[in-house]
Amino acid sequence: MKPRGGYNIRVAGRPAGAVEALPEPDTLYLPLRSRRFNFSEICVKDGERCGPGHAIAKDPENYFVPLLAPRAGTVRLDAVEGHIVLEDVAKLPEETYHPDDDLPHVPKDLGSSGMKRYKLLALGAWQFLHDAHTNALPDPFDTPSAVIASTIRLEPFLARGDVQVRKRLVNFTRGLEHLQALLEYQPIHLILPEVDSDLASRVRDTLRGHAWVNITYVPLRYPFDNFALLARGLGLKYDANSPVWAINSEGILAMDRALTMSHPCTVRLISLGGPAVDEPKHLKAMPGYPIRAIIDPRTSSESIRVLNGGGLTGDTVLEDQLGLDAECTGLTVLPEHTEREFLGFVRPGSDRRSYSRCFLSTLRAPAAERLTTALKGERRPCVSCNFCEEVCPAGIMPHLIHKLLYQDELEQAELTRIDLCVECGLCSFVCPSKIDLRREFIDGKQLIQEELHSEEVEA
Amino acid sequence: MRLLLGILDRVRPIFEDGGKLRPMKPVFDATENFFYAPSARTQNAPHIRDPLDLKRFMSMVIIGLAPCVVAAFYFFGLRMLAMIVVSYAAGGAVEMLFAVVRKEEINEGFLVTGLIFPLILPPGLPLWIVAVGVAFGVLVGKEIFGGTGRNPFNPALVGRCFLVLGYPGVMSATYIVPGSGPLGRLTEYVGVEAMTRATPLAEAKQGVVAPIADLFWGNVTGSAGETAAIAIIVGGVFLVLTRVANWRTVAGIIGSFTVLGLVLHYARPDDFAPVGWHLLAGGLLFGAFFMATDPVTSPITNGGKWAYAVIIGAATLLIRNLTGYVEGMMFAILLGNIAAPVLDDVAVRLRLRRLQHEG
Repeated sequence: MKPRGGYNIRVAGRPAGAVEALPEPDTLYLPLRSRRFNFSEICVKDGERCGPGHAIAKDPENYFVPLLAPRAGTVRLDAVEGHIVLEDVAKLPEETYHPDDDLPHVPKDLGSSGMKRYKLLALGAWQFLHDAHTNALPDPFDTPSAVIASTIRLEPFLARGDVQVRKRLVNFTRGLEHLQALLEYQPIHLILPEVDSDLASRVRDTLRGHAWVNITYVPLRYPFDNFALLARGLGLKYDANSPVWAINSEGILAMDRALTMSHPCTVRLISLGGPAVDEPKHLKAMPGYPIRAIIDPRTSSESIRVLNGGGLTGDTVLEDQLGLDAECTGLTVLPEHTEREFLGFVRPGSDRRSYSRCFLSTLRAPAAERLTTALKGERRPCVSCNFCEEVCPAGIMPHLIHKLLYQDELEQAELTRIDLCVECGLCSFVCPSKIDLRREFIDGKQLIQEELHSEEVEA
Repeated sequence: MRLLLGILDRVRPIFEDGGKLRPMKPVFDATENFFYAPSARTQNAPHIRDPLDLKRFMSMVIIGLAPCVVAAFYFFGLRMLAMIVVSYAAGGAVEMLFAVVRKEEINEGFLVTGLIFPLILPPGLPLWIVAVGVAFGVLVGKEIFGGTGRNPFNPALVGRCFLVLGYPGVMSATYIVPGSGPLGRLTEYVGVEAMTRATPLAEAKQGVVAPIADLFWGNVTGSAGETAAIAIIVGGVFLVLTRVANWRTVAGIIGSFTVLGLVLHYARPDDFAPVGWHLLAGGLLFGAFFMATDPVTSPITNGGKWAYAVIIGAATLLIRNLTGYVEGMMFAILLGNIAAPVLDDVAVRLRLRRLQHEG
């Protein structure tokens, strides 16, 4: 693999490897929306008592992927807008899965692989799979052309793969074997960090003789963990008929749990990081866990911004979202920008971390900086400094596409391969003119779909 | 320092919507954000941003120019101060006018143009001509194209080009003889009443060749900031190291100039002076480090930058030696600016052909 661009932003507040189990909650607030899913089909009635692992809602747009109740509790449907609330939550012994409730679109004659896929879907493990190119949820009954299994997560800050795998290497290996059993002869590409880590050699040793995987080593530089970039690097072309599946270590562990023990996958390992967190670490949490109950005791900052996901691609957790959603991989907490530096631009900046070499800190060893939500400058026209192009991992020219989009040249923007953008956010991060390139490209891609390709979809 | 912020906060409403001085908001914003880091927060992902902004970016160029400014003060005296002030005032007025009319921000790029401009002028030039030149450069070279980021030509060079063509007599007769000794002209304010002399490049056409050491240390006549090669190299290398100036442009210009100069010098030694001498004479180094590297007016692609640099290097050498003009850097860079969009077009096409098979 020939990696291009990329940059490691050093932000204070990297989560340590320690894992803390959160106290059992009294009430769970399960959001009906997450990044990819919209659980619009409610499967329970108001006031019903449901057991742990029961599907309380499904997403009809995404192969009826279920939203599972992580604990037993009493359902309240209208208590909070956009959420299913579980009251009087109790931790009951987990029930082993019985394939009773039928999923509407599942074919009747299932082979053994089909049964397994059905089980993965029903037990909440299927939602860990991604289409490497489009990031959508793959069809469980499709045949992929290859599978990418990644153990790395590089964005500041998401739950790290090494933390997830370290104590459960046996489960990880077994999960890979299960994954292989789903396939016929398609290759599994296992992504390991390109550093001599203890974990990598242990993974290699454990895998020997168990699962047939092609190991690929990737430098630990953001965003080389991106599935689309990995697929491109491995020479796997996009083909809508035989997609490339991608899964993180957490998903492999979920597969093992669902297929070996037939238990629902509800508890997740998420990261809690960022400069405003007192003690950044990993947390064992479940969807619906009240976000305030996670954040409030662990930060001493007054004014903060909580992100669902990492600092580069995460979304602000809005006031009306009360609990963790089903896809959350980490919470990043940033202090809001309040202090205004006097004559900041003439200071030597020996404590500034910058992609450019315009600060005295260039002469020192890199250190993590306590970054805030400051824009750190004013919006200016593009001066073609080319930093965005240097840092772009997809090899496109963000500054050129920016100008084309500004002039509404959608056809040209498409020819300039805006579709290769993986939305990693590095271009916006480095831009000295503070242009919101990532946002522009997301909107631009959507506009191109609507204006140039809407007829194709209809036809 | 709280005091100043308090004052700014108190007068802010006057410039906000409905305030008396609403049209002057760009001026207020520029002042406020000069003293205090902007209060803006990120709205979208990425929620964290790099500390580099355009102010810092442009400040680096000012720092890079500092050695040249010091050299100019040493060789040509306190008159430099007057030229810099006039340049900033006249150019700044145009910039401010356009910002107010367009209701846009005042851009920091002007801080660089305003300082570079006096450095590429003859040190004895009447101040009103400095004002006319910089105003013309900012107006025609930048603002009528839409302001910073959209200008095809380097504004300072457009201003200088205007003066060279409009006031050729004054421009060639105001090269003051540089000062010397421990203080140089640091304590003097001299205009054209001081002794003037033709520049080394002009004299070379008559067969008088200035010693290379003088060119290196700057003890020759010439445009105010361009004489001391050592100061330019120090400041220029700083710019390249901070990556504000692209090394490809600098290396391409100096490289192509050297190679072509060597070839032509050995082919026709009578017409072409040794390349080492040419490298240090005139505005070549200053142009290569500070003017051709302007990211807006140079090509955006790396391939385009190489071609652009080769055009500038070769054109400078040919203009100097084969035409009636003694100095070719200015025209060469403007020529490069003209070629830049075409070079980019070719480079982008090649790049896209490579990208075609991705994903």
